[in-house]
Amino acid sequence: SGGTGALAQWVLVELQGEVEPRQSGDLAGNLLGDLHYTREGVPVLIVGHHILYGKVVQLEKPFAVLVKQGGAPQPSPAGPHGRYAVTALIKTKLLFKTRPKPIITHVPKK
Amino acid sequence: AAMRSRAEVDATLQTAKLNPAELLPAVQCLSFGPQAGGGECCLLQLEPGLCAELEAGRSLVIRGEKDEHAVLCSKDKTYDMKIADTSNMLLFVPGCKTPEELNADGASCNIIYSQIAGFSKNYWELRRCRPKLKKLRKLLMEDPYEGPDSRKDQTSTFSKYTTEDLLSLIQASEEEILHQLEVIDACKIEGYWRILDFDYEMKLLNHVTQLIDSESWPFSKVPLRVCLEELGSLEPREMIEHILLSYGRKYVDDGEIFFEMREDKICRAIAQMLLQNAVKFNLSEFEEVWQQSVPEGMTTRLDQLQGLALVDKSSRPETIFLLKVEDLPEDNQERFNSLFGIRQKWTEVDITPYIQDLCGEKQTVGALLTKYARSSMLNGVKVYNSRRPIS
Repeated sequence: SGGTGALAQWVLVELQGEVEPRQSGDLAGNLLGDLHYTREGVPVLIVGHHILYGKVVQLEKPFAVLVKQGGAPQPSPAGPHGRYAVTALIKTKLLFKTRPKPIITHVPKK
Repeated sequence: AAMRSRAEVDATLQTAKLNPAELLPAVQCLSFGPQAGGGECCLLQLEPGLCAELEAGRSLVIRGEKDEHAVLCSKDKTYDMKIADTSNMLLFVPGCKTPEELNADGASCNIIYSQIAGFSKNYWELRRCRPKLKKLRKLLMEDPYEGPDSRKDQTSTFSKYTTEDLLSLIQASEEEILHQLEVIDACKIEGYWRILDFDYEMKLLNHVTQLIDSESWPFSKVPLRVCLEELGSLEPREMIEHILLSYGRKYVDDGEIFFEMREDKICRAIAQMLLQNAVKFNLSEFEEVWQQSVPEGMTTRLDQLQGLALVDKSSRPETIFLLKVEDLPEDNQERFNSLFGIRQKWTEVDITPYIQDLCGEKQTVGALLTKYARSSMLNGVKVYNSRRPIS
């Protein structure tokens, strides 16, 4: 259901492929990277040893972010049965589609 | 993980050979929040209008029991839900700022820490669909109301349904459900939605038509007050009013409430009463009995029976039998299978009343026939038959 206050506006960041943690274990708490914008408004994301260039896209069809309410998590792949609350709306996404440019680090000589 | 410092960010920029002068001063360090991998968040792509509804504070509800495909309902529409897979990672970031927002933000801080709330490789897509209302009639038919004298109600163990019950069981929006309750002439008795038992309904209708006859009222001007006075001793007042509402159009004239009786609906109900007693009837015999059974002054016509009865023109003599569209399956393919099981070849005129309710926003009868049937010519007339071989 919709909230009583104004709904939060979040942003979607779309990346190609998978994001894997550097160390084993899940992603929670880990850094993804630094997000910059050029003065022209082009988003630049530095992830590990890669530079990703993207663009800001206003979504034709916004998304709602649904959060499952209460109860044990249901395994249902078939359907989203259960109670959900809309936690936020997403009208903008940062789309990173260009192939990442690797950062060549200079290995210092001993 | 320790928070990155501005110095570390600048060092990374240098290593990446990016010129800070070409960038906006603020950097957003993105990290995965503590709940990020939990999978409790999911994305729902919104069809036009739904975003505005949510922002206006209205609710969307996902409905469906475990054996049903889930649907999403707004206040007045119903949508099928389908998972769309992307090959990309979708990260949702609260508080992530766009370039415009950074420029507008007068704050001088040049480092912002943003947490990624969650991520997904897929999202739910919506497609507007017909509300699934067949179940509504099915639930209410579990226990039709037979009148106050019926002892069934006191001892009944069947479920009775309130509006709230129906909202949680029927895969449709509230408006679609309430509209359908009106269409099927359901009424609220002691807080529960009930459908009248057909025999009881005919009994009530008969009281009214007999009164109209004895008072010599025109069908177009039946006074509510007098009906309640004259019939109130025979039946509950709410039932008398309900039958007038079901079979008439209410209006006010000079401060008094009248009903314009719906001739077609009355003739149709009487036909159903006659037809339900046998498998089929000789058509001409039926037409005679039918005309004699309706209130004097009303005229019966076969087109009043669309979606209720079917004439078999190929039998000698011609016959007619009861076939109610509401008894047929709700799913498109199953509906057509059922129809072609009853009759191999259909003309468009005959089949239309039995598929009209399947037409959605974008599908016409013609489009449905093209999709689910195959056409051919029979004695110079275009007919439709099944695309599948009949087993």
